[in-house]
Amino acid sequence: MLALALATAAIVTSAATGYALLGREAPDFALHAVNGNNVRLSEHRGDVVVLSFWGSRCGQCRMQLAALDKSFKTYHSAGLQVFGVNVDDDQAGALEFAHTQKVGFPLLLDPQKAVARTYVVDNLPMTVLIDRGGAVRQVHRDFSSKFEPLYLQQLRVLLNE
Amino acid sequence: MLHVACHRRFLALKAAALRLAAVTLGVLLLAAPTSACAQAAAVSPATAVPAVTAAPGTTKPAARAAPAAAANPTAPAAAGSAAPPASPAAEAATDTRGLDQDIQGLKKDVVDLNRDLFVLEEELLFPANTQVAVFISMDVGEFFALDTVTLKIDQKEVANYLYTPREVEALAKGGVHRLYLGNLKAGQHELVAFFSGQGPHERDYRRGATLKFQKGIGAKYLELKINDRQRRQQPEFEIKDWE
Repeated sequence: MLALALATAAIVTSAATGYALLGREAPDFALHAVNGNNVRLSEHRGDVVVLSFWGSRCGQCRMQLAALDKSFKTYHSAGLQVFGVNVDDDQAGALEFAHTQKVGFPLLLDPQKAVARTYVVDNLPMTVLIDRGGAVRQVHRDFSSKFEPLYLQQLRVLLNE
Repeated sequence: MLHVACHRRFLALKAAALRLAAVTLGVLLLAAPTSACAQAAAVSPATAVPAVTAAPGTTKPAARAAPAAAANPTAPAAAGSAAPPASPAAEAATDTRGLDQDIQGLKKDVVDLNRDLFVLEEELLFPANTQVAVFISMDVGEFFALDTVTLKIDQKEVANYLYTPREVEALAKGGVHRLYLGNLKAGQHELVAFFSGQGPHERDYRRGATLKFQKGIGAKYLELKINDRQRRQQPEFEIKDWE
C-alpha cells in the first residue's frame, strides 16, 4: 500500500518537475465564460484556484471535469474555485461539450490559446493548482481515477494554508 | 589556571560589552529579557539580605517578613526598595515602544521608497513629452453592460480589455480605469475605440467611437465615456480630450 502511494507520488512529482511556472506567480488572464460572464484570475486571489485545461475530443477531460465538480461542490465554501479552460479551435464543439457536461464551476473559452500558451499546456487534460497567494503549487499533466485521492490531499493542504 | 581565569574574565567582559552595545544600538527586543533576568537575579539576593539581617534585631517583623519572602521572593523587594524593581519593567516597556516606533518608521520609509520608484519607473518608461494615457469611465450604465473594449491608435491595436462584472460594477459606481498608457510622438493621431457588450433588451451591442487628436509636447490624456441617453433609451459613447 505504501509502495503504491510512493509510486503514485513519484509519478505525479515527475509530472510536475520541469514546469517553468512552478512556485511562481500564476500569470493573470481574463476569459469569456460559457455562461456569459467574464472571469479574471486575479479577482480570485485569496482562494485556492484549480485551472483545468480541456478539449472536447478528450475523453479523460470529461472524467476529470466530473471529478473536479465533486471537489468543487465539497470545498467551494472553504474557498475553492475551479475553472475549466477550453483550448479547442472549434468553438461550436466546445459549447456543445460544455452544455452536455453539467458542472457547477465556470467553463472558459480560450480560442486564441493565449492562456494555454502562457501556462505551457502540452497535454490534455492538464491541471494547475494555485494557492491562496496566487502562486502555482502543483501541476498534473494527466488524469486517472487512481490519482484522485492524491489530488484531494493536495487540495486539502492548499485549503488549510 | 591563571590563563583560564583571565580568559573567562575576558569572555565575561566581552559579553557584557556586546550586550551594552546591543542595548545602545536599539536592539532591545533581544536584550530586554536577558537584562531583565540578570537584573532580577541581581536584585533578589540583595533584597533577601535585609529580610535575613533584620531578623535578629526585631523578631516580629522578621517573622512576618520571612513567610512573605518564602512565598514570593520579589515581594520583599517591593517592600524594601520600591524604585529598583519597578524600573526594569518600565524600561523594557519603553524599549519595546521605541522599537515599535522604529519599525513603523521603517515601514513608512519602504512605502515611500516604493512610491518614488514607481513614479521614477513611469517617468523613465513614459516620459511626459511622449506620454499618452487613455481612461474609461461610465455613467449609470443602464442601457449598456460593458464586456470588451478594443483600442486602436493609428490603425494599430494597442489594448483589448475584457471587463468582469466586478469591474463593470466599479465603473458604474464612478470608478475610472486606465486602459492604456503608452508613447506617441508629437503630431496628428487617430484613436478608435470599439465597445462590445449587451445593449437594451439584452441584445449584443457593438459600437465604435473615433477621435482625431493633436499630440503636443506635454502628456496627452484621453477619456472614453459611456453615458446613458435617456431620450433615445440608448447608450452613448464619446471620447473626451483632456487639454
